[in-house]
Amino acid sequence: MTRPAAFRASMAREWRFLARSPWDLALLTWLPLLLCGAIAWQLSDGVIRDLPVLLIDQDKTMIGRDLAIRIEAAPGLALAGRVPDLAAAEEMIRAKRAQAALLVPPDTAQRALRGEAPLILYFNASYPAAAAAVQREAGAIVDAANARLATEWIAAIAAPGSVRPAPVRAVTAIAWNAPASQELQLVSLLHPALLHLLFMLAVVSAFGRELRDGSIREWSPGVAALAGKAAPYLAVFMGWGLLATFWLSGVRGWQFAGSFTLFMAGYAAMYLAYLGVAVLLLGATRTLSQSLSITGLYAGASFAFAGAIFPLEQASAFARVWAGALPYTHFARLLARTWIAEGSAMAVAAPLLAMLGIALVTAVPGAILYLRAARDPDSWGRR
Amino acid sequence: MWAAFRALFAAIMTDRAAALLLFAAPLIYAGFYPSAYTGEVVVRAPVVVVDQDRSAASRDLVIRVGAAQQTELVASLPDIAAAESWMADGQAVAALIIPESFGGDIASGKTGTVVLIGHGAYLLRASSALTGIGVALGRTGREAAREQARAAGPPAPPALALQPRPLFNTREGYGAAVFPGVAFVIIHQSLLLGLALLAGTARERIGPDLRLTRRQLAGIALAASFIGLLDVGWFVGMVFWWHDYPRAAAPLLDVAIGAILFVAATVAAALALASIFPTRERPLQLVLPISLPLFFLAGLSWPAEATPTVLVALARLFPTTSGLELMVGLNQMGGSLKDYWHAALNLGLLTLLFGIFATRRWTSGLDVERGG
Repeated sequence: MTRPAAFRASMAREWRFLARSPWDLALLTWLPLLLCGAIAWQLSDGVIRDLPVLLIDQDKTMIGRDLAIRIEAAPGLALAGRVPDLAAAEEMIRAKRAQAALLVPPDTAQRALRGEAPLILYFNASYPAAAAAVQREAGAIVDAANARLATEWIAAIAAPGSVRPAPVRAVTAIAWNAPASQELQLVSLLHPALLHLLFMLAVVSAFGRELRDGSIREWSPGVAALAGKAAPYLAVFMGWGLLATFWLSGVRGWQFAGSFTLFMAGYAAMYLAYLGVAVLLLGATRTLSQSLSITGLYAGASFAFAGAIFPLEQASAFARVWAGALPYTHFARLLARTWIAEGSAMAVAAPLLAMLGIALVTAVPGAILYLRAARDPDSWGRR
Repeated sequence: MWAAFRALFAAIMTDRAAALLLFAAPLIYAGFYPSAYTGEVVVRAPVVVVDQDRSAASRDLVIRVGAAQQTELVASLPDIAAAESWMADGQAVAALIIPESFGGDIASGKTGTVVLIGHGAYLLRASSALTGIGVALGRTGREAAREQARAAGPPAPPALALQPRPLFNTREGYGAAVFPGVAFVIIHQSLLLGLALLAGTARERIGPDLRLTRRQLAGIALAASFIGLLDVGWFVGMVFWWHDYPRAAAPLLDVAIGAILFVAATVAAALALASIFPTRERPLQLVLPISLPLFFLAGLSWPAEATPTVLVALARLFPTTSGLELMVGLNQMGGSLKDYWHAALNLGLLTLLFGIFATRRWTSGLDVERGG
């Protein structure tokens, strides 16, 4: 058989298998749809709204009433109730009936005239996403309350000219993601995190099954046949990558700042790298169940190690080395430099080359080992 | 029943993949996963500065930003375009732009304005860096206020000052916020995968007629629950302490009951799921990828308040959602069982639901599709 013919025959054989095996087909069809869909749906709000906040008003003046109104009016917060003291508030926060409590201590109105009367915001730091949103919103509320108090109260009693704008101020902007949307940041990262794991499980299953069932004798692959077997998976998962990208950039409107083409090239490079690792795993272990377990360890925790949300520079030396060996880490960098912002040619090339490098150093020894196993009947049928 | 209890342990011991999933995985993940989070709080986030003013005030600000714990000045650049391309290349997560008029405005009693730009792809690091720059700016501002006061008298301070106080996770570490939840997803997945793998294997050996008596099923469930409780003890008692994650002194009895409820619901779900798959490797293929969505649905990294209501309700079908709420509440927040009675009830109902399903499937002979 010529190489193109072997490629086509192997590809057709794989399609026929998938058509007959609904569970294997699930990994390519409804499971990616279900998992990516759930994530997209969950984060479709993008910004957090109406977090329940308690007011502990021990001052009982116009300041507390003003803050209550502002909490209700803030889009991110909702007033969950008033409680007399911190103990009562903590009890409600523990029971998750509120995320935070704003304490207005006694004599706040008196102290406000002298300036910098403390208001204390207690927030549930065990739920970090909500905690960050509560702090941001409460800061804005207090700034607004200060502006009003400055003109209505303090100007009336303070020395003329002493109420003036602050000497410095900052105008803050978030580049390329003006609303600081978590939808753009998280969904753009979570979809490829799910897809590369599903992809690797699918190809490990495809190549491992042949060894497990001994069907590799009848298949008797060469390099072209290996490529032909991988082709349906690459095609289907490129399709899912395209669909996930279209959802966020086309439907949800998070448009590309840089090159869409290079980003999709990144998807292809990432899949190739995980394909290389998959074949290497099977060549080394010759056992499907072990390879799947290792896949869980290797591709299942990528999201934590990619350094996209939490900084990698501060992680342990082990974590940094491990992250560098994960194609997804480089893909996350490419994503920030093609989709979110437009990086320079060098900055875009580096992660692409890193992924292709991983593909190369795993696929070559992987193919050699796998083809060796393919000719060795002793290595078939392992569980 | 005790024969089945012992038989499960015997089966695990003779099956390397099952032993790996049920015994080794909780040990490996306890060291492996938190290593990504050892930093805990963001320090020295890379920042670039564009100082177009070059006045005493602007230089003062730049020095203070360089000294802030959260930030590290990586470059001083001539214009905004250069700052933007540094950020686009991923070399900085925030930029401080000091316009030409900054020093002059302060000197003449007006407001000196700076522009802060955070990187939209790195929201956590950018916001920490911006906080650090904000603190530096505040100090420069106080300095400037003293200067202004010589001409115009002391300014009136703002009426109110907000002081944030974190509860429970008081150091606000990100590992400390994430891992105490992730640990229960690990336990859940370890039991689900390990038991389903063993069930698939048994079915392959014995064939589709594999049937268990109620007592045998109870013995297996008890043995699996024993492993699950060991896992909970390992994470709650050892791993959280080892990484110094927040541990609240919740009543031991409440923690024990919470752990039993979570493990019972998980084992019931695992036995129900295990009755579906006819082959050994199938659960590994299909159950591994659900970990990430399970964690997000549990609401630690994305609050339930911002999740569509229908999805919040559906998420209650997984033991992890209520399990995380309950165990994080007891372990990290120091609540008691009555604070989370709805989560506890949810776990009880799931145990019942999955338990009935599993019992019916396993005792009446499995009608499993062949060839899967």
